[in-house]
Amino acid sequence: MAELYRVPKSDAEENRRIRDYREEESSRGSMDLPFLMLTILLLGIGLIMVLSASFASAYYESGNPTQYFTRQFIFSIAGVACMLAAARLPIGFYRRIAMPLLIASIALLLAVPVIGVDSGGAKRWIWIGFTTFQPSEIAKIAEILAFASMICVYKEKMSTFRYGVLPFGIVTAVIVGLLLLEPHISASIVIIGIAAIMMFAGGTKLKWFGIAAVIIAALGTLVITQFSYASSRISTWLDPFSDTQDTGWQIIQSLYSIGSGGLLGLGLGQSRQKYLYLPEEHNDFIFAVICEELGFIGAMLILALFAMLIIRGYWLALHCRNRFGSLVITGITSLLAMQVFINVGVVTNLLPCTGIALPFFSYGGTALVIQLAEMGIILGISRDISTKKAG
Amino acid sequence: MARKNRAQKPNKEILSRTLILMVVCGVFSFVVLGCRLYIIQIRDHAIYQSGAIEQQVRETTINASRGTIYDRNMNVLAQSATVETVYISPAEMIQYEEDKSMIASGLSEILGVEYDEIMKKWEDTESWYKTVAVKIEQELAYEVRAFKNEHDLKSVHIVEDTKRYYPYSNLASQIIGFVGTENTGLEGLEAKYNSELQGVNGRIVRATTATGTDMLYTQYEDYYDATDGNSLVLTLDSTIQYFLEKNLEQAIADYDIKNGGIAIAMEVDTGAILGMATSPGYDLNNYLEISDPEVKSQLEKLTESEYEDAISEALAEQWRNRAITDTYEPGSTFKIITLATALDSGAVDGTEDFYCGSSIDVLGRDDPVHCWDSDGHGSQTLTQATQHSCNVAFVRIAERIGAERFWDYLEAFGFFDITGIDMNGESGAIWWSQEVFEDPLNQSQLAAASFGQTFNITPLQMITAVSTVANGGNLMQPYVVQQILNQDGSVKEDIEPTVVRQVISEDTSKQVCEILEQVVSGEEGTGKNAYVAGYRIAGKTGTSEKVGQNSDDYMVSFVGFAPADDPQIAVLVILDSPSSESGIYISGGVMAAPVVGNIFADALPYLGVDTVYTDEEQQNIDISVPNVKSLTSSEAIAELEESGFSVRTVGTGETVTDQLPMANVRVAVGTEVIIYLGESKPNDTVVVPELTGLTYTDAREELESCGLFVAYSGVMPSSSTIVVSRQSVNAGNEVARGTVIEVTLVDSDTSIMETR
Repeated sequence: MAELYRVPKSDAEENRRIRDYREEESSRGSMDLPFLMLTILLLGIGLIMVLSASFASAYYESGNPTQYFTRQFIFSIAGVACMLAAARLPIGFYRRIAMPLLIASIALLLAVPVIGVDSGGAKRWIWIGFTTFQPSEIAKIAEILAFASMICVYKEKMSTFRYGVLPFGIVTAVIVGLLLLEPHISASIVIIGIAAIMMFAGGTKLKWFGIAAVIIAALGTLVITQFSYASSRISTWLDPFSDTQDTGWQIIQSLYSIGSGGLLGLGLGQSRQKYLYLPEEHNDFIFAVICEELGFIGAMLILALFAMLIIRGYWLALHCRNRFGSLVITGITSLLAMQVFINVGVVTNLLPCTGIALPFFSYGGTALVIQLAEMGIILGISRDISTKKAG
Repeated sequence: MARKNRAQKPNKEILSRTLILMVVCGVFSFVVLGCRLYIIQIRDHAIYQSGAIEQQVRETTINASRGTIYDRNMNVLAQSATVETVYISPAEMIQYEEDKSMIASGLSEILGVEYDEIMKKWEDTESWYKTVAVKIEQELAYEVRAFKNEHDLKSVHIVEDTKRYYPYSNLASQIIGFVGTENTGLEGLEAKYNSELQGVNGRIVRATTATGTDMLYTQYEDYYDATDGNSLVLTLDSTIQYFLEKNLEQAIADYDIKNGGIAIAMEVDTGAILGMATSPGYDLNNYLEISDPEVKSQLEKLTESEYEDAISEALAEQWRNRAITDTYEPGSTFKIITLATALDSGAVDGTEDFYCGSSIDVLGRDDPVHCWDSDGHGSQTLTQATQHSCNVAFVRIAERIGAERFWDYLEAFGFFDITGIDMNGESGAIWWSQEVFEDPLNQSQLAAASFGQTFNITPLQMITAVSTVANGGNLMQPYVVQQILNQDGSVKEDIEPTVVRQVISEDTSKQVCEILEQVVSGEEGTGKNAYVAGYRIAGKTGTSEKVGQNSDDYMVSFVGFAPADDPQIAVLVILDSPSSESGIYISGGVMAAPVVGNIFADALPYLGVDTVYTDEEQQNIDISVPNVKSLTSSEAIAELEESGFSVRTVGTGETVTDQLPMANVRVAVGTEVIIYLGESKPNDTVVVPELTGLTYTDAREELESCGLFVAYSGVMPSSSTIVVSRQSVNAGNEVARGTVIEVTLVDSDTSIMETR
């Protein structure tokens, strides 16, 4: 859009550009209201839960019980702005920036080991003046856009190994390789998951998934048996009470929180586990606080909102008349679904412990902004769906 | 480009695969998560909730105040008071970065605890609780609190606790017992009635953060009140208990008793224990201290390894209530039971003659049973046989009763059961089997039983049986707690006397009481030394060899009750192993009877039993000196002579200016009272002469020659065999002229010394 205010080469050209833009804008429909409302609803509930969950630890850490909430609130406003901005950009813009964004994100990932911020033995963040952000977040959306774009180019050739598997595999391998340097296992899993889903949606032959599953299973077994770190993770997962320190402690505390919530919960703000028992209570484990305070009913309602948002996302993908747009929506929706599933799965000890945030809920400024921007992309694409058909 | 791509629609494959993703990611995955949540939140809710609560909740105990123990007159024997315990929390010291050496030196100064000791406690930085001083007085705790506030210390804590106080220290120590650090009774009634006394501790349950501080805004606090313990009212009378202990200790000192003594006073009609003493006792406020200085000095000589065992043994020994835990051979005191059995069963009717030729052959015995009197008692009535404590006569009586009948009575008197007193550690008796006892071809057991030998019973069984004889024949279940009070002082439970069974008839009881009175009051009685002027006392002596132990040692005892015509109180005194070095003849009649007599002399007036003097007693009784000051000399002389005094005047004035002894002092009848007429009373002191072994008359003359006066207790000074056994002020001490010296008289006549 900055282009619009560039010194015009000529009036005629300038006028044509403005006319084109206006024409295009006016020809687009409005954003998908259910998707927007679900997003805003989840964001609002998420903010309230950040306040509730972080209240105690913020108080004990800094004396200011609302410090996390305030930051999250500011970032959510910024995020909503980004979402609305992203929804205005035409679909062609995303297709154009897909490859450059992928290259840029790989460059950022390369830079992380050099300029990254060290935290807890891992370098995953880059400091950008007022906050940190994870280049892996950029890589995820870049991957979705790039793969969608590639699928649109390869078309029927997707069924071949050369086009349907190899390029995707190389890109994924490069990104995962860089992420493992940080190291960042959970992001790697998500990147691999996204790749698989994009390829699946794009038409890659199913046998390759079978082969990949066998390879991953073999590699996984190797890692678990050879690396004590991984095997202890697995044994802690199978029986968290066998290790009451560190990860085991975290999972036990999480289960105590969720379990003591019962059917109706202790009431909003009444969590006891958040009083320094539950680690990461406003972060990766915020869902445990939700379960404790709002009970089974409250937690199921929130999961239902997520499910509705995700189903609406796929519904939009199914109704999108544009292949690229459809694939992007599928990618972003799947990314959202994957994050929710892994997060809740970890918190409830359904999956081995790995650090992954719950979209809209977990405290984290840039992640929230990017999350909302991704929602904006879906909302932007939804504008091109004929309202008649979209119903 | 955008416009060009608009034409490219998703193909069918993309749409169908997207649909699959929609079902898997949008529906299936959430169903899985929902199930997982259901399992944790609904199915396993209780498990996780209890785990969470367990870690979130901190409990603070509120100590229940332990109930009070009162004697029968509501004198406090044991009471709890609030004290405080100081502890430090190394974890909080680290958390709040407090100066540990400053705290240590401060606490060390206030509490007198070693500085290094406190510094050592800080080292366990994981700990939240390290005790520095327990059960300190509130004044001291106040100082600690001031120190804590002054420096705003978070790692120093003071909590309320209770401490047990025993106002009488040593009194009835083995009966009352003591309480351990956890407010739990460990010995005596404190242990037996712990569940009543202890109460229920209260709790403050509150939810805290993981670091132990209160949660913000989330108020979760439950308060469970402490229920204070109930109080006990004992049948014990602290005054009578004191009389028992005082006289027992005096006897132990006088006769050089090696293994201490036991005394029990029982209310005969109810079985209520008025007093129960085992000497030496110990200080309940300091129960870990060995009270016997002799034992203590012996322990100190031991090496460290021996010391540990020896001290716990010595402590167990001093805590033991020997009146119920130990058994002994009762000896001749048991003749009371034989006598009662004989009369009640009709085996004898009191008209028989029991000849004693100094020995008697017994079926099944190789050597005959000898009487202690080698000349034999000759022909005796039943009363005389009892007065003489004649073994030969009692063997004859037992033969008349027969083993089977005797066995039945022994059982009826409760000798085969424990008495069931409400105290811990009661022992049972040791008897032959019924078969052996009733063996028709061997009557040696029956013969020995008739005079109380070759079996063992507890002192409590003995006095309970004697009370049965005295009270009209009812075996009572002895008890020490007569009332349990609620914490507000209202009565929770009244414990009524329990009649176990009627053993002998009332008539038999009367007959036996009359005979036993003759043992004390009769000219031929072996129990003369238990005599107290003005009271009718019945009783029986006993001396027995300690079988199987040091054969030189004896148990000497006396059991008596009074008044003989309407018994109220029974007293048993047992002295364990008098030393032969004291020079005093070792027998119950010489050693134990005076102790019981002294106890009766103290206790009967206290119990309000009226005195009735015989004419003879009347002549010998101590009387109080009237006040004759400011009377004319003739008036004074007349009044004093009328009261039974002789008079000596000093000076030449008309009116009495002073007198010796002072008015209202009790002295012997016939004492020469000095009245001063104008002349002042001398203020000098005189040395008390040695009186032990003198007859009463000699002692009196000796004292009067020194300017001292005499009063007496014990046996009446009726015959020349009666001598002074003790004087209230020891020889060699200086006292003011005119002081009254009290002498205790005993009958030293060897004719009253029974077998040993």
